[in-house]
Amino acid sequence: MPDFAISTEHLTRRFGALTAVDDIHLQVAAGQFFGFLGPNGAGKSTTIKMLTGLLAPSSGRVELLGLDFASHAVEVKRQIGVVPEGMGLFERLTGSEYLHFVGQMYGLDRATTQQRSAELLEFMQLADRPKTLIADYSHGMQKKLALAAAVIHGPRILFLDEPFEGVDALAAGALKALLGRMTARGVTIFLTSHVLEIVERLCSHVAIIDRGRLVAQGSLEELRAGVAMGKAGSATLEQIFLSIVGHDGERQPQLEELTWLT
Amino acid sequence: MTRVPGVAAQIRLVAGLRWRILRNGLRRKSNRLDLIGMIFAGIFAAFLIFGVSTGFFAGTRYFLTKGHASGIAFLFWAIFLCWQVFPVLVAGFGAAFEFRTLLRFPLSLRAFYLIGLAYGFADLSAVAGTCWMAAMLLATALARPLVLPLMIVLAALFLILNVTLERLLASWLERLFARRRTREIFLGLFVLAMISLQFVGPLLDRHGEAVRRFGSHFLVYLAPLPPSLAGRAISDSLQQEWTGVLASFAGLLAFAAAFSFLLWRRFSAQYRGEELSETFAPAQRPSKMTRQERSGADALGRLSPQVAAIVRKELRYLLRNGFALLSLLLPPVLVLVFSSPFAGSRPGPHRHALSPAVFFPAMMAYIVFILVTPAYNCFAFESRGIQSYFTAPLRFRHVFLGKNLVLALVVVFELALCITVFACATGLPPLPQFIATLVAILFVVAGQFAIANWCSLSFPRKLVFGQMRNQRQSGMAVLIAFGVQIVFAGVGAVILFAGRWTQDAWLPAEVFGMLSAVAILGYFASLDSLSELAEKKKEALIEALCR
Repeated sequence: MPDFAISTEHLTRRFGALTAVDDIHLQVAAGQFFGFLGPNGAGKSTTIKMLTGLLAPSSGRVELLGLDFASHAVEVKRQIGVVPEGMGLFERLTGSEYLHFVGQMYGLDRATTQQRSAELLEFMQLADRPKTLIADYSHGMQKKLALAAAVIHGPRILFLDEPFEGVDALAAGALKALLGRMTARGVTIFLTSHVLEIVERLCSHVAIIDRGRLVAQGSLEELRAGVAMGKAGSATLEQIFLSIVGHDGERQPQLEELTWLT
Repeated sequence: MTRVPGVAAQIRLVAGLRWRILRNGLRRKSNRLDLIGMIFAGIFAAFLIFGVSTGFFAGTRYFLTKGHASGIAFLFWAIFLCWQVFPVLVAGFGAAFEFRTLLRFPLSLRAFYLIGLAYGFADLSAVAGTCWMAAMLLATALARPLVLPLMIVLAALFLILNVTLERLLASWLERLFARRRTREIFLGLFVLAMISLQFVGPLLDRHGEAVRRFGSHFLVYLAPLPPSLAGRAISDSLQQEWTGVLASFAGLLAFAAAFSFLLWRRFSAQYRGEELSETFAPAQRPSKMTRQERSGADALGRLSPQVAAIVRKELRYLLRNGFALLSLLLPPVLVLVFSSPFAGSRPGPHRHALSPAVFFPAMMAYIVFILVTPAYNCFAFESRGIQSYFTAPLRFRHVFLGKNLVLALVVVFELALCITVFACATGLPPLPQFIATLVAILFVVAGQFAIANWCSLSFPRKLVFGQMRNQRQSGMAVLIAFGVQIVFAGVGAVILFAGRWTQDAWLPAEVFGMLSAVAILGYFASLDSLSELAEKKKEALIEALCR
């Protein structure tokens, strides 16, 4: 499976009686901009945590860049960047100090860390607050810093959990351009987002998880081909998503039940 | 339209909510283990409250029957001070619950105010104050039944006054502490005040008479305050000076009205949606790079990059944690304070001086235990940053090495300071005891690190910088730390005294040397096991610290 940047086999995670992720086979080719979608509670964050080493699978295996995560954890982690769900920042450091810390954790020498930190802070428009602690950053600023920290060591795979949440439009535009250039250079990006328009615009391939099971996987064109039959024109990602996840109608909120409100 | 429940129903709802938060919290295994610690603390608190209640009962009875009725004011002062000061000092025993979150519900300002007061009665200090007041009532009923009706009215007024003032102070503190910097400055001042209290005993020993004279003059100024007024109302009633009783009541009512007015204003501001959140510091121009950054020099070059990064981060956290930083002043100050009454050339009155051979190791052991205790919850301030350790390419042994190294440096620095103070204040013990103590410290620190690291992984508890309320360590971690320190202290004491019994002055140093070697080997051997344990515990660890 070395052709795949990310590959899982029978990936399963149970929390007591609840199976949050159920027997997932996921394959993401190197250089893909991959969107991972699903309704609330479908298992997206659990999956991304297992792919990044924040959560141990109950069963199954994860391979990143052809290496088994369980047996080569440190080697794998050296080649990935992560923006986890809570961003994972040390709030009592300044932005610059945090980037220095992360750079050294990934084994960068001080000069390289210094240069990259300065460039990233400038790019993320965080350089004008050198003494401000991360605790005093706004949510959007923290998100940008978490993104900067995830890329400082030049990862080959980037995992982003809701990367644009709370980021202003100006910065989001710059970030999208940056991520686009990274994929052009062969970096694989694995992204979760609830904003389907962003995923549709950025991602070439998409997987949809529902109730812990992978219900669709492929390029946008392949997914469109699957649902476009019987519909006029090409389907949007929202239509694809609704047709796959809300196919049986039982998941669709029924407004008729809320007559007392309407 | 729905019907808004009455105030009584809303108070019941809030009480039920607090209970459910506590009960649901116990579903987690770590919280269930915590419960053991809480039960111990609860039993201790119950004994303390009821034990002190007997004191209040006896005191009231004594003052009322022996013709010293004016002395009852001291009891009112005790309740008053405990009620107002204790909540600031102690972390809440109750489950974390933000009173202001109730504002999203359709409460009237009156209901919000009354629920706020009712909420105040749930504090431990309020429970204690109410119990002590009940003990005073019981004593009054037995000693002077005729004064009981007056005492009941007085007690009710005093309770309302206290709970109102406590809520008022709490709401002011909440406003003050809404900003991180204010929180930290206040905490620093608080710690300094606590450290200063250590000097009270020695000062009283040396200047007791002058202090007492000053105190008797100062007491006059306390007379118009609520506890003194309450006491005077009782003593005047026994002498049937009803004008004085009425004047005291009027004074108490005036205080209650003033506190209620101020509290109403504070709650009104909260009710209107007062914004207390942090504001950003003004943007500053980028500062010049430090010399170290420019040169790229690395003072920790001999360490692996990961350990060096963690050491730097830990040192930065230490320098930005006002509480931890100021607490570093405590050890040398303690040596100075205790050396005056217990050792040295001028021990306090009625006390025998301890020889440095006894005082030095005992004091050093006490200081080491104070310094090493934070290691039992070493991830307390990591918050969401803990995830970085699991996503970065490192083994957890690096994290422990970095953290333990910084704490070891702190211990060495503090001990150097303390030894200097010892040398000046009491003199150092003979060389064999001195060396034995230092080697014993090595044994105790290395031995404790291994256990403390395991404890940090097994019973993590998030703490917030600069916050005093609701900052509670894991009950199990506290029990383990306490137990381990008792064992180490016991072993150390036996070995030190073995040197005396055998009259072999160097025996303790030799034994401690061997034990230290074993402890250090054990420490390094434990790191790999701890790395594996961290992998197993990572979900619980992340969950506990990212809340």
